[in-house]
Amino acid sequence: MKPVDLAKKLRREAAFDSAALDRGKALLMAAIRQEVEPRRRPTVVPQVPYADLRAALAFLERAFGFREIPTARFVSADGELLHATVEVGDSLIGVGGQGHHGAISPMSGGVESQFISVQVDDVDAHYQHAIAAGARIANELRDHSWGERTYWALDLEGHRWRFGQRREVPPS
Amino acid sequence: MSSPSDAEVIGRSLGEPEVFGLIYDRHAATLLRFLGRRVGANVAEGLHGELFRIAFERRKTFDASRASALPWLYGIGANLLLKHRRAEARWLRASARMVASLEAGEGRTSAAALDARVLFPRAADAIEALPAGEREALLLFAWEELSYQGVAEALELPIGTVRSRLNRARARLRELLEPRGKNRVKSR
Repeated sequence: MKPVDLAKKLRREAAFDSAALDRGKALLMAAIRQEVEPRRRPTVVPQVPYADLRAALAFLERAFGFREIPTARFVSADGELLHATVEVGDSLIGVGGQGHHGAISPMSGGVESQFISVQVDDVDAHYQHAIAAGARIANELRDHSWGERTYWALDLEGHRWRFGQRREVPPS
Repeated sequence: MSSPSDAEVIGRSLGEPEVFGLIYDRHAATLLRFLGRRVGANVAEGLHGELFRIAFERRKTFDASRASALPWLYGIGANLLLKHRRAEARWLRASARMVASLEAGEGRTSAAALDARVLFPRAADAIEALPAGEREALLLFAWEELSYQGVAEALELPIGTVRSRLNRARARLRELLEPRGKNRVKSR
């Protein structure tokens, strides 16, 4: 057998999941978007503490549609996730392990001392999406006299999030 | 109307980055298979993501006189593989064992089966032991079926260097294949 033919014999296909190609495309396009959009530097960035940061982050992405900025991740030398940043509309929110800087999760502290209010494009769709992902609803969807429609949800550790959509106030 | 060449697409992606997605659509499957053949599907997926991200970041450096981006992408992949020598060696040895047992199971004589059991793992070791540059040239040529020109573009080498690397790789492998003693006296 010729050497090249012998080498050819050792060629073995590794079965791959075709979804791997879609995942790769999504990653690439996310990287491209990051280059296109100049990094926003909001003046105020809320920092939200969690006992189980990885689970909390996955939930925020899945239930509320927040998007993590992969390059902004802080991971310790032994692989523990210390801090991550998510994009929400034109804002950023930091999520970190509890205990740093004295901040604690409502799950351990038993109280919520603040809540975060987020404006979304379609609050009804957002609400349905959050429920489907297992978010606990604290206050149902409702319209307010000032022309806003809102609902409130609790995340995995009991942080309270208010989602609202401003509407034209109908002429009376 | 014919579709734009890779070079045209990459040129346009300098101003409109999202256009680079088309390069992915064209070549992603080929490169995922390439990496899979070298390190197995699991390791391959991570490297594949890295490969296209690097390609996107370096798109300004793509030589626009080349119509196809494929050799360039292979080159980026080959560089990434250098950092995964152990995974590659494991996969190659596992492949050799599989090929050997297939050959042995094909109703051949037991002597041939025995040969296969000895030959293929030995060939895997020999390929693994080649200097990185020779191994890469050999596998791009034998597994990916790139032309000499394609290998030269992928590894950014003059075509003459590719030719000599392939010849050296062949010679080293041939030594293993020939019955002991014979190759010592025979002149090439």
